[in-house]
Amino acid sequence: MARALPRPSVSGLILLLVVVAIFPYLYTWPFFSAFLNPFRTFQATRFGLWLIILLGLNLLTGYSGQISLGHAALVAVGAYVAAVLMNQGFLGQDVPVWAAVLAAGLFTGALGFLLGAPALRLSGPYLAIATLAMVIALPQVLKLDSVSLGGHEIHVHMARWTGGVQGLLLDRPKAPESLKDLVNERQWLYYEVMVPAVIMTAMAWNLTRSRIGRAFIALRDTEVAAEHMGVNLALYKMTAFALSGLFAGVGGGLFAYNEAFISPDSFETIKSITMVVAVVLGGLASITGTVFGALFMAFQNEIVDSLSGLIRHIPSLSALQGYIPTTQSDFEKLRGAFYSIPLMLFIIFAPGGVAGLIRRVGYSAPTWWQGWRSRVAGWASAVKPARQRAEPDADAGVEGRQDPEEKTQD
Amino acid sequence: MSQFIQTVATGLSMGSVYAVIALAIVLIYRSTGVVNFAQGEMAMFSTFIAWSMIVYFGAWSLPLNLNYWLPFFLAMLVAAFIGAAVERVILRPVEEAPIINSVIVTLGLFTLFNTVAIWRYGGIAKPFPSPSFFHGSALRAGPIVISRLNIGVFCMSVLIMLILYLFLNYTKLGLAMRAAAENRMACRMVGIPASRMLTLGWALSAAVGAVAGMLVAPIIFLSASMMFATLIFAFAAAVLGGLQSLPGAIVGGLLLGIIQNMAGTYIGSEIDITSAFVVIVLVLLVRPTGLLGRRVVRKV
Repeated sequence: MARALPRPSVSGLILLLVVVAIFPYLYTWPFFSAFLNPFRTFQATRFGLWLIILLGLNLLTGYSGQISLGHAALVAVGAYVAAVLMNQGFLGQDVPVWAAVLAAGLFTGALGFLLGAPALRLSGPYLAIATLAMVIALPQVLKLDSVSLGGHEIHVHMARWTGGVQGLLLDRPKAPESLKDLVNERQWLYYEVMVPAVIMTAMAWNLTRSRIGRAFIALRDTEVAAEHMGVNLALYKMTAFALSGLFAGVGGGLFAYNEAFISPDSFETIKSITMVVAVVLGGLASITGTVFGALFMAFQNEIVDSLSGLIRHIPSLSALQGYIPTTQSDFEKLRGAFYSIPLMLFIIFAPGGVAGLIRRVGYSAPTWWQGWRSRVAGWASAVKPARQRAEPDADAGVEGRQDPEEKTQD
Repeated sequence: MSQFIQTVATGLSMGSVYAVIALAIVLIYRSTGVVNFAQGEMAMFSTFIAWSMIVYFGAWSLPLNLNYWLPFFLAMLVAAFIGAAVERVILRPVEEAPIINSVIVTLGLFTLFNTVAIWRYGGIAKPFPSPSFFHGSALRAGPIVISRLNIGVFCMSVLIMLILYLFLNYTKLGLAMRAAAENRMACRMVGIPASRMLTLGWALSAAVGAVAGMLVAPIIFLSASMMFATLIFAFAAAVLGGLQSLPGAIVGGLLLGIIQNMAGTYIGSEIDITSAFVVIVLVLLVRPTGLLGRRVVRKV
């Protein structure tokens, strides 16, 4: 069985929250200015966006076991709903950003609930293809204006709302007038994304420990057993889709607000697939893992660059020029390989993702720590012979407790 | 009416390519339970290998159109080798892991083959030759016009399906492969090397994929991105027919080709992909395991 991740202590969580809260100002401080700059704030904003989106996907795929390759379609729906509300208002009224994003989340959540109904009958690869179909068909639907059916023109006017191929252009987000001296545009954006991200992370965290989360895990592991335990399969599966839609909608709305531009090409099939990759890399069914997945999404370009840079600096390789990639342009063309080879190796050697790795290390650390401590205690006892007799017993106690646990892990 | 028949005929020829790739996907899924997203890219890569061999052999004057057929079969061999190597080296370690892990590994393979092909052969689309009996003027039957290329592709696909059918049903090796897909443990007990059969399944599937690649390349030109759209449709075809069933892949592929062409003709080309997928989702709702798939009963 999977072991629980080492939980951060309360003080650790508070420290993390404080760091998140002051992050956009850190680069103005003397020590942090060495490695932080305003661009990092921008990247952190993207991290927040991805965190929200991936949390939804992990609730669906990791916790409830429903493989979805079409998450980008839900994100797109959220983005378009929010963008249309922000651009055109609702019933002649201007819609504030928070309301637009919330509405996008609720709308997409409702849509997800409805999409969950057909998904009830599908599983595994069939569900994967059906959800993939959503994201492939999406650009055509967004660009749609009229359909001729049996000689009749049916006007759908989808493109009037979505802007068709050109997409939608929004106002660039601005910090409010009253706070102008305190925050600049980028910092304001950071808070507007990070506050929902933190709230939704806490929400997901609580959710997975609630009745609903347990039901998700139960129906993922064995549907029949879950049903016998009183889990309403249809309701909970649809709830999983609805929750994932809610997260995707909020993430998509914030995405539209953050980029200030969306078009059908913002939500390609590849991006949808990359989301699943990120979730698995981080660790399925783990909130901490999702954080790592979001880090991967936000920093994947940097990661690939540094990997290809590392290999470029191995001098002996230049002797093989022509047979293997050595020049700058070779590395530019082979970006994908520097992405896919580590990816495959990682999945092969760490099937549980980053969260799985932490779980393993987190487990072995105490043993190492215990050994080190007993050695220190041994030295101490050499200095103070009076305590010598107590030590071996304490060691045996520790080992006695460790052994059966090691067996259960196998 | 003639427009209808014309649409069906064109749909059949495109559908037969989907059917061949879908066959390759089903071959792998049946034996290893892996949905191979890299199938199309492996086919594309082997087609590039065939292309470079055709360029190489082009300098010689070989009889019997061997300038084309020798690279054709050599590329199939190379593809089979690549397929076997991929199974042995990359997929064997994730065999026991959850399905989604093997999906991601094949996605990684997808990117790998794609970028290596762009690096090695460049991003410009290249013309790819077709066998000489595909050339010549289009065939006419009344008002219906069908190009020889389309007929050739259709015939070749039918031939492959026939060979596969005979191989799997009437040879000992084919029987062993089917048995290994069905029940690995029982296979080992009667002395069939089950894991070697899995490798063979991948090799066979890669070779079939290579043929599909060489069949579409004359139609849509040879480039690193040529198989992407085909792959998506082949997937849809495999799912439509039922991922477990080889005849299902063929039925699914042909149906999908016809549906896509029908939608393009009668509704509008800007909605052809969408309508094809709408049909698939509808079919799946009625039959969740595809048209010819069987329902797998699982115990708790």
